Amino acid sequence: MNKTIIININGTVFHIEEQAYELLKEYMTDVKRHFFNSADSLEITTDIENRLAEMLTEILAREGRQAVIDQDVAWVIEQMGSVKDFETAEAEEEPGFIHNEFTTPAGNRRLFRDPEDHLVGGVCSGIANYFDIQAVWIRLFFTVAFVFFGTGLFLYIILWIIVPKAISRADKMAMKGEPLDLQGFKRNFEAELSSVSERIAGLKHDGRPFVYKTRDFVSDFFHHLFVFFGGAGKVLVKLLGIAVIMACVGGIIAVIVGLGATWFFGGDSFSLPDNFFNYEHINQVRAAVALIAIIPFTMIIIVVSSAMFSTAAISRSAGITLLVIWLSSLAMLGYHAARAAAEFKDSASFTQTINLKPSKNQVYYLQLNDAMFLTHDDSVRLQIKDKFRNMILTDDEDRHELEPRSVHIDIERSDVPYPVLVEEFSARGYDYDGALENARNTRYMFVQQDSVLKFDRRLRRLNNRSWHNEEVRLTLRIPLNATVMVNEKINRYISNYMNVYECLPGDDHKSTEMAPFVMTEDGLKCKVGEGIVDATNTIDSMDTNHDGGVDASEILKSTVGAKADTIYIDDTIQTPKPAKKPVVIHRRHRMVN
Amino acid sequence: MLVENTQTQMRKGILEYCILCVIAKGEIYASDIIAELKKAQLLVVEGTLYPLLTRLKNNGLLSYNWVESTSGPPRKYYVLSEEGKQVLTHLDKTWQELAFAVQTSIEGRK
Repeated sequence: MNKTIIININGTVFHIEEQAYELLKEYMTDVKRHFFNSADSLEITTDIENRLAEMLTEILAREGRQAVIDQDVAWVIEQMGSVKDFETAEAEEEPGFIHNEFTTPAGNRRLFRDPEDHLVGGVCSGIANYFDIQAVWIRLFFTVAFVFFGTGLFLYIILWIIVPKAISRADKMAMKGEPLDLQGFKRNFEAELSSVSERIAGLKHDGRPFVYKTRDFVSDFFHHLFVFFGGAGKVLVKLLGIAVIMACVGGIIAVIVGLGATWFFGGDSFSLPDNFFNYEHINQVRAAVALIAIIPFTMIIIVVSSAMFSTAAISRSAGITLLVIWLSSLAMLGYHAARAAAEFKDSASFTQTINLKPSKNQVYYLQLNDAMFLTHDDSVRLQIKDKFRNMILTDDEDRHELEPRSVHIDIERSDVPYPVLVEEFSARGYDYDGALENARNTRYMFVQQDSVLKFDRRLRRLNNRSWHNEEVRLTLRIPLNATVMVNEKINRYISNYMNVYECLPGDDHKSTEMAPFVMTEDGLKCKVGEGIVDATNTIDSMDTNHDGGVDASEILKSTVGAKADTIYIDDTIQTPKPAKKPVVIHRRHRMVN
Repeated sequence: MLVENTQTQMRKGILEYCILCVIAKGEIYASDIIAELKKAQLLVVEGTLYPLLTRLKNNGLLSYNWVESTSGPPRKYYVLSEEGKQVLTHLDKTWQELAFAVQTSIEGRK
């Protein structure tokens, strides 16, 4: 029982045993190699193949067999004659393709560049042939030399210029050190003669001036560059394609994650598109944004992968559908953007005045409120009571960097002997009523604790309304000769010009240090020489408990006087261990005191 | 070595002439040419014939027709071209001269 192979010889199909096939293949390879240099090689080998097929068919018909066995092949080869026989017959006839077999004694290798096995210029495989090792080791050596020292490339180019290319068959055989009389033809005088002339030509070739070699090198270079982009370059191009696809996949994931994040944590921070759009439409806007971003990425992936890896290209109708979806997403986003823009057409404002209690010594400490204000919703959502009992959640301006400044403070002289705070809320809207409605739907947290005036960093919008440039302009009116203590942190919110650092003694100031300014007829002036109290020590207690604002106040009461530990947490609130002692939590890692 | 070489030369010299002679008898298939030549003990293997036929054809001495075959691929049947016939006439004459020369040379050698 033998395995058979189905082969096709010029249109005739044979079942042939594996061993017989090997024999036949070897024979045909020899024949083809023998006639390789002949102008009519194709015709001759086709004739021979046809005749072989015919003889095999006849044998099978005669013997009544179905499969060709190796005896059959041996017989037809005998009929056809071996390559050796051909050579005997042709020895005189075509000296042209035999003479160059004699250029080099057998086994003596010469260094050539191998044009048949090359990635770039064939230098490596040539060297490998010379030393009779596998080309891959030489290539590895050059690559390593290139990576580590950069010399590999230099060496390669020099060798490329110096080492001749194996052009003739004799060159190739000499390169591989093949015994040149392998195929058993006989040397004769004419062949010797022509081998001499070949040698002379070889000498001329080897002795050519460097300039010519360089010219050859340049033409070679472009040829090989072309080949490179057909071969090894393909790998590079594919790698590039993979990189592009990975980038696009990354883009899609980023879009999904980003939008998913705003969907889950929406309203917590100021981010596009959420804060500009009406809440009822926000999901349409998100979907539109997602599609606008994802469809081009998808298209790039499909186009690149179909071009690179011949995967199925997208059908025309599917492409048009995607384009239509993309354009409608764009239109929808444009529509919502236009509507959102219309929400800014008109503006409105209203004012409310708060009379402040005068302090005993007419000194007022202006501070930013570091305790985080939480609405009732927020405290439920963040599970404040369970997770953050006995802790202070501090607010930090860093996380609101994206949001436009909504608080402006002016300090003016008061006509009355007590301080007054005027809050002017303004907002924009579709019309005046809408704008006023927007302005009213805000809340500003201002707290007075004796002489300490605490200002919140932000104006808060209620009910997760979209942003309409809500602002509050706070005018603090203080009596003549009263002193305000200001540090650099709050100074950023104050419109008056006050150089806090210059008003402080010494250099190297912290933004929490407080400088005294006194109200004069001409406005605020730096007050020098008076007893300056470090206000930071006195500010431990605070009350943020405005209608429904939760819990920070309860926590705070217990922190007064206690030495607080500090825990740093990230913006995503983690669950700290239950603390016995009261604990201050900073968002981000900014020290408050 | 020299003897072999001369033999080869002699054989080769008349091989093309003989092939043309065989084909001149009428349209003929390559393997039939071989059969004839084998009968004349001039050629042993078929493989050597194909390069010769191709070359003769390319020189315009032969042409061929494709003929469908019942056993295998279509066959090339060779015929002499007009030029081939003229060349053959020349060669006939040359051969007569050669045969005479050889005959004369051999004569008297006992």
